Amino acid sequence: MSRLVFPRRQFLPAGLLVAGLVVAFVVTPRLRDGVAIAVAVVIAAASVAVLVMPNVRQAHPVIARALLTLVALDATLLLTFFLSATTDFNLAVGAAMSIVLLGLSFLTGASGQISLGNSAFMGVGALVVAMWADHHATTPIVVTILIAVACGAAVGLLLGLPATRLRGPYLAGMTLAFVVAFPALDNLFSSWTGGDAGLELPTPVTSPHWLAGYFSANTSSFTLGTIWMTDMTVIITAVAFFLMANLFASRAGRAMRLIRDNDVAAELVGVSLPRARVLAFIVSAAYAALGGALWTLINNSVSPPTYTLALSITILSLMVIGGIGTIPGAIFGGVIYAYSTNVITWFTSHVGIGSQSNLASQMPGIVFGALLILTMLFAPRGLTGALHRLREWRRDR
Amino acid sequence: MIEVKDLRVCYGAVQALRDVSFRAETGLITAVLGSNGAGKTTLLRTISGLKAPVSGAITFDDHQLVGEKPENIARLGVGHVPEGRGVISEFTVEENLRLGALVAKVDLAAGLAEQYARFPVLGERRKQHAAKLSGGERQMLAMARALIAKPSLLLLDEPSLGLAPLVTAELMHTIRDLCAAKTLTVILVEQNASSALRIADNAVILHLGRVMADDAAATIVADENLHQYYLGMAE
Amino acid sequence: MDAFLTSRIVSDILEGLTNGVIYGLIALSLVLIWRSAGILNFAQGAMPMFATYLGVIVFAGDFGYWPLVAISVAAGFVLGGTTERVLVRHLYGKPEINPIVVMVGFLIVLEAVAAAIWSTTPRGIPSPFSPIDWHLGGQPVALSPFSVYEIVTALVVMSLVAALFRFTKLGLQLRASALAPEVSRLLGVRVNRMLTLGWVLSTGVGTICTVLVASNFFTGLTPQVMDGIFAFGFIAAAVGGLDSPVGAVVSGVTIGIILQFVGDYVNSNAIILTALIILIVSLMLRPNGIFTKSAARRV
Repeated sequence: MSRLVFPRRQFLPAGLLVAGLVVAFVVTPRLRDGVAIAVAVVIAAASVAVLVMPNVRQAHPVIARALLTLVALDATLLLTFFLSATTDFNLAVGAAMSIVLLGLSFLTGASGQISLGNSAFMGVGALVVAMWADHHATTPIVVTILIAVACGAAVGLLLGLPATRLRGPYLAGMTLAFVVAFPALDNLFSSWTGGDAGLELPTPVTSPHWLAGYFSANTSSFTLGTIWMTDMTVIITAVAFFLMANLFASRAGRAMRLIRDNDVAAELVGVSLPRARVLAFIVSAAYAALGGALWTLINNSVSPPTYTLALSITILSLMVIGGIGTIPGAIFGGVIYAYSTNVITWFTSHVGIGSQSNLASQMPGIVFGALLILTMLFAPRGLTGALHRLREWRRDR
Repeated sequence: MIEVKDLRVCYGAVQALRDVSFRAETGLITAVLGSNGAGKTTLLRTISGLKAPVSGAITFDDHQLVGEKPENIARLGVGHVPEGRGVISEFTVEENLRLGALVAKVDLAAGLAEQYARFPVLGERRKQHAAKLSGGERQMLAMARALIAKPSLLLLDEPSLGLAPLVTAELMHTIRDLCAAKTLTVILVEQNASSALRIADNAVILHLGRVMADDAAATIVADENLHQYYLGMAE
Repeated sequence: MDAFLTSRIVSDILEGLTNGVIYGLIALSLVLIWRSAGILNFAQGAMPMFATYLGVIVFAGDFGYWPLVAISVAAGFVLGGTTERVLVRHLYGKPEINPIVVMVGFLIVLEAVAAAIWSTTPRGIPSPFSPIDWHLGGQPVALSPFSVYEIVTALVVMSLVAALFRFTKLGLQLRASALAPEVSRLLGVRVNRMLTLGWVLSTGVGTICTVLVASNFFTGLTPQVMDGIFAFGFIAAAVGGLDSPVGAVVSGVTIGIILQFVGDYVNSNAIILTALIILIVSLMLRPNGIFTKSAARRV
């Protein structure tokens, strides 16, 4: 590979574009959704072509990131068309979770703080969407989501302000208190929030008319609705990741990493410690609220008892296992979450544990807790760190 | 008597001590001198067990010190007053002394009385928090705390650091007096070579981790080459 | 006098006191770990819970209340020491979030394993003290033999811990190992042993607290029994200052009383919200705690 880099780099973009056009040409007449697929493939090929052109990533990092996001989005959307409704549903749930993980990852990775309150922030976003939809059914979904995110950010500000001068343990404890308080808060305002029973969306999210045209006539509206919701979720996830990637790389992101590593030095360089810490906390709260809002839309209802301390700790585990402070880590975590129930159930039945037993019902807790401890002790950089080490090992050979 | 043989100590890739060998005779004061980075503090830390050497041996009164934990070495009768004195600011003067006497199985009341007699200022401030002491008083506290355990080997790391010349002179007198009975061996690390050489019996000069000279103090004082190159003393 | 003692205000104070000493005990055990190991132990409620289960179910059988307590506390000592040796040893010197994350994981594992083995159904632990309030002139006073037992036990434990730290050689070594481990080594203190002892003691204190909570007729023992109490205990410790044992106890009792009033006069759902507000306000005004003596970090 090393000797051929220079000439190959020049021809790669053109070659990819040609390949993409060929595939599109061949595929178009043969598949039911041919046109849509063809367009998707061309977009992907063009984006990749631009990306592998020399120096693009350094000279125009934002554009490069946008294109990368576009490619990933493209591929995923394509995928949703072919997957079953259940898989699409899991994908949506996992994607929403990965948004939450990304927010927490930013907080911990970029500024070294731990928050145990993310499930409560999710709950805030989830409840706001349902409460708003109950009273204002005509607001477009995107606006409702933005309102939920804004509420999450506001609560994040409230809790984050005292966080400005706190060291790790205090912030973790305070967010623990928040998540333990969440059910009581929910019950306190139960006339609005529906208490433990939660709320249902007055009108379930349905797919727009034009989508049905891509599918065969006997596709149920439920399936269409699921696919539409999944696509929306994936698009929102992609946007969220794009924004975060830019934040990581920006001055603010660098400032926060400096705080994590050496806050005294950061102060001397002129970084405002309190402001950076609150900002990081607000961002993570907003992202968590976004994830919760999406969950409500995916499920067409909100159930407050979902948002417990156990969920917060699951979120923490997923983030650590995926890799703290990394974007791939959040994606890994989302995928793991989407399939964890299935995997754990499969595991318990294969090991011969009765599915109704206490042990079976506690398995998720045991598995995630144990993984959290083991990962933190032996592989603190998670899966992403392990991959890095693998790449370095192969390079050094 | 303590003997160091072929001691080699590294911090990562950096060699702090290279093949250092010398003896400190019982009852005498041996000064360890040299400029910054010569390895003086590393030497003391290795003797008291805070740093493990890569190779070499340290023999103290028939005990092999290399590989022993610091707390065990302390219990053998080695007292180390570290760089910065290590006075526990949150404790009172008396609590610091009680801590020193703890593992040495000495009679606490008698020990306290002896140290208060030797350092009256400590006696006056016995209930005060150590944070309120001046630099010189902290040095006295650190020494009293080491002495209350009746050590047979005393390691002093730059006791004059940050102290006014008058206080330093007094301090050196006290150290000299301690050795009058010839039961206490002292290894005195100092950058302030002239004050150390005034009370030392022997001196070892370290430079970049190696022993450059090892002789009686008087000889070293008289050798003008050494003054110029290693001790930074005025002509 | 009778009317005063049975009045609503005094009743609230007494009940708040009873709850408050429990919070104070857990806060104290948190402070013990913080002072000896510099770690905030999130499993500080879960570990004693597990030890109590061990004592109650595995060992005690039909032995009676006091042997049961003793065995649980002993299990707590062992669990604390073992956790330090096996788990926490690896974490000294690592970034601050590592021990937090590991102890949070430990919390979940302990609760899940306890629920898996012993289910989440509450178990009663009958104590020799009646939970029925006394009566004065026909009205109930908010004190029962059981609540007096709680208060007295808590006070005794707190005093013993205080005495240990202030007056004994062991206490001196424990404090020194936490404040200045290297210097303590040079003075012959076996610092590693002191660290383990810190964990042993704090888990023991936590277990006594859990036994008190679990033997409460109205509570019982469940895997989650200490979750809320841990939260309140943490708030008390944080408000009082993580390094101040006195602060922990005083805040615990004060918060217990305040919360009792809130629950009585406002709404039981407002209790934890109030606690959260107390925490936030206190940390904004005094980030290191009200009773703390720690110096500002020097640059």
